[in-house]
Amino acid sequence: MSGSSVLLSVQPSRGLVDEPFRVAVAHLPPAEPVTLHCLHRSEDRHLWEAYGHYRSDQAGSVDGSEDESFGGTYTGKERMGLLWSMRPVPGSMRGLRLRKMHVDTPMVVLISVYRGHLTEGFRERPPMASVVAERWYLAPGVKRIEVAERGVIGTFFIPPGPGPFPGMLDMWGGGGGLVEYRSALLASHGFAAMALKYLDPDKSVDSEVGIGYFETAFQIIQEHPQVMADRVGILGLSFGTAVALTVAAYSKIARPRCCVCISGSHVYPINLPRDRMMLEMARNEGIVQMDEENNVIWRHRILPITKDPNLKVDVGRIECPLLLINGDDDQNWATVESAEDIANMMSVAGNKHLLTTLTYPRAGHLIEPPFTPHIRASNFIVHHTKQKVVLLWGGETKAHADAQEHSWKRILTFLREYLYIQPSRASQAKL
Amino acid sequence: MLKAHSSVTALLRYTGISIPDKVATCRNITCMQHLFGAVRWRSKFTAAPLLTAQPARALIDEQIAIQGRFLPPHWPVTVRAHMHSEEGDLWEAFSHYKTNENGVVNLTTDHSVGGSYVGCEPMGLFWALQPAPSAREGLRLRKKDVETPYVVQLSLWEGHVSSSKRPIEDEQTAGRLAASTVERWYMTPHTRRVEIRQNGIVGTLFLPSGPGPFPAMVDLWGMGGGLNEYRSALFASKGIASLSLAYFGHKDIPGPLDELNVGDDYFRSAYNLLQDHPEVCGERIGLIGLSYGVYLVLRMATHIGVKPMCVIGINGPLGSYDKFPGIKSGDVVNYQMLDEHGNFSLRHFTMPSMIPKENQIKFEMLECPLLCIVGEDDYNCASMETANEIEEILRAAGKAQLFTRLSYPGAGHLIEPPYSPNARVSLWTVKPKKINAIWGGHPAPHAAAQEDAWKKMLDFIEYNLRK
Repeated sequence: MSGSSVLLSVQPSRGLVDEPFRVAVAHLPPAEPVTLHCLHRSEDRHLWEAYGHYRSDQAGSVDGSEDESFGGTYTGKERMGLLWSMRPVPGSMRGLRLRKMHVDTPMVVLISVYRGHLTEGFRERPPMASVVAERWYLAPGVKRIEVAERGVIGTFFIPPGPGPFPGMLDMWGGGGGLVEYRSALLASHGFAAMALKYLDPDKSVDSEVGIGYFETAFQIIQEHPQVMADRVGILGLSFGTAVALTVAAYSKIARPRCCVCISGSHVYPINLPRDRMMLEMARNEGIVQMDEENNVIWRHRILPITKDPNLKVDVGRIECPLLLINGDDDQNWATVESAEDIANMMSVAGNKHLLTTLTYPRAGHLIEPPFTPHIRASNFIVHHTKQKVVLLWGGETKAHADAQEHSWKRILTFLREYLYIQPSRASQAKL
Repeated sequence: MLKAHSSVTALLRYTGISIPDKVATCRNITCMQHLFGAVRWRSKFTAAPLLTAQPARALIDEQIAIQGRFLPPHWPVTVRAHMHSEEGDLWEAFSHYKTNENGVVNLTTDHSVGGSYVGCEPMGLFWALQPAPSAREGLRLRKKDVETPYVVQLSLWEGHVSSSKRPIEDEQTAGRLAASTVERWYMTPHTRRVEIRQNGIVGTLFLPSGPGPFPAMVDLWGMGGGLNEYRSALFASKGIASLSLAYFGHKDIPGPLDELNVGDDYFRSAYNLLQDHPEVCGERIGLIGLSYGVYLVLRMATHIGVKPMCVIGINGPLGSYDKFPGIKSGDVVNYQMLDEHGNFSLRHFTMPSMIPKENQIKFEMLECPLLCIVGEDDYNCASMETANEIEEILRAAGKAQLFTRLSYPGAGHLIEPPYSPNARVSLWTVKPKKINAIWGGHPAPHAAAQEDAWKKMLDFIEYNLRK
């Protein structure tokens, strides 16, 4: 069988990161064992790969969306398995994490089909066929604007069109820096989203910011001529959750319309006095654990959840809908226990009707946009000590991938429900 | 659209105006009006609908799902598409819909009740594109640079609007509710484009991504001349290597530009180049031609000693209506090639009875399957009569099994890759005077023909080149 008869296709060949694709092979002999393989070279020059073992049907076809993988980095009927089950190729350094820092170019993946069921040596032999697919965080027409105003550093992504659009303040966690890709993706779905930099890995702890920084950032979003000032939400992951909850509960200036908190906790609010914060953290150092691979587990540092109301965000004061998204195998932060405590506090305060909690079984800490690889542990520089560790995030790959896919859909639905307006009658719409 | 309490910095950034340091910046909105002109006020509580298109970066033959949401229910809306051709002309299309009870308009399932097309046409906004009222006459939309996409702006408007009464300017935002941008590509990522200027051959070779070897096509167009790459680029994006071959009216081919100066040797060299290429499977080569290109590919298949696996002919004659080589485009000036309206048309000269016997293809020498694609409204070439004649000759020669015909009512001469606009008439030449060519074809049936013919062409190629 010569290579020229086999046809491999990926559709769409240029998709958004959260769009599914279909990988299909045609013109194979019937019942032929083949391996579908995906290769990606990240921005920091590491190689990632995934593969699945298939068998062609009587017509000689393999359909990645319909057929089952018998083995590889994923099994079963998993149309996006070639992306979310990617991991660093054998021989790679430890603790890698796959993140796209430049959103104006796509992630490029090479999809190949090999004869037989292979588990290694993909780069030592030619495939039967291969095609290239692009995965974009940015839709065409979305504008990227660098923000450096009133001391606030961030990147604003504005969808195409006249607007006005709902706005989003988007915050990542304790790793710091300016991470744009989730905001770019939100803007590709019609939200004017600002990714905010609030922890600078290079700066000392003394220059950390207070609640006023986030209020100013929120206002900058509101004041943009293409943003609906009363339809701005906040999204935070990990430490960004503490920020989001603090602002939602205490700020008189920044009133979010809704709040999404991923893998975070209400312990400790960010407006806690600094010396108190340092005391608590010193006390918790002894509770840090390690697993058998010397990955650092931080989960227990806030357990048991404190009963001291001064050490928790007073979530009873929140007046907007709140969506919590957690993985129950989160080894970095006790998010599930925090969510339970949040529910109790809101129940007592009488605002529990605002709360929705999604807890994903066997998902870890880094619940990111869908179809991106699961990272169970990765390198991390601890902000206040500059120590290099490998943090255990947790999660099992398949369950984590499902959580990412499901939660992203729920996040978009939640944001559209509270930030977009569904006109009920033509006369009510002032368009 | 500027708000009452916009910050000065936001205003400056949004409008791109910079103010010199010496000017004191007044943080009062009314003061800003002197700088920016009249400001359109908007309440904080206006609703914004959402217009989505998926995929936003599509191959030319991929369907794009367009949807508008967060609109009032049972409400009239217009979806407009507009783009600029490479020559800078504005093309646009409009479609008129009504939202459903949920305030949603879905172009994949809903019916347009007016505008550039009617009925359920998911890709109507693309194939019904027309030059804007302000554009030049006699235009035809063709992509020269296939490595970049067409960028099409989609927009959602209040009510049923169009450009027929007055042009819609982008700056006129009243009624414009939402927008989205799509890119339409002729090439998938890492499809390779290789310029060919060797052995006297002038062409462009497109190679699919991947290790190869690949089945391949030779791709010929008509007497418009030049080098048209877009169909080959699409074939390569589907895993089939393809050589777009110039043969007439190209500056890199020696001889007068208005004369066909190459003969059998040229086409044989091109075929051999493809056959010998390390990434092409030499036993899996097919030929495709449009218009006069059909005569040329049939001649290659029967007369010059090469053995392609299949031939596709779109709206072509069964022979050369003038001497080959040596045919001149200047012969257009011969008024016999103008119809009663003064448009260039070869219908009369391509009737089978009008083709000189010595110039006719010897179909009895055909050894491979032939797919004949006919636009029944072809005003430029006697395609239907030709197909009838070809079928007769092959049947008489005991080779009826080689012949397949696809015949499309309402389709014209220029059956091209799908979801592209048809030109019923377009400018053919300006020397010695301005003459239009009449191609034929009505928008909706021609679009349907392009979509169907493309699928069937790809199936035909797959079947004959990959088995």
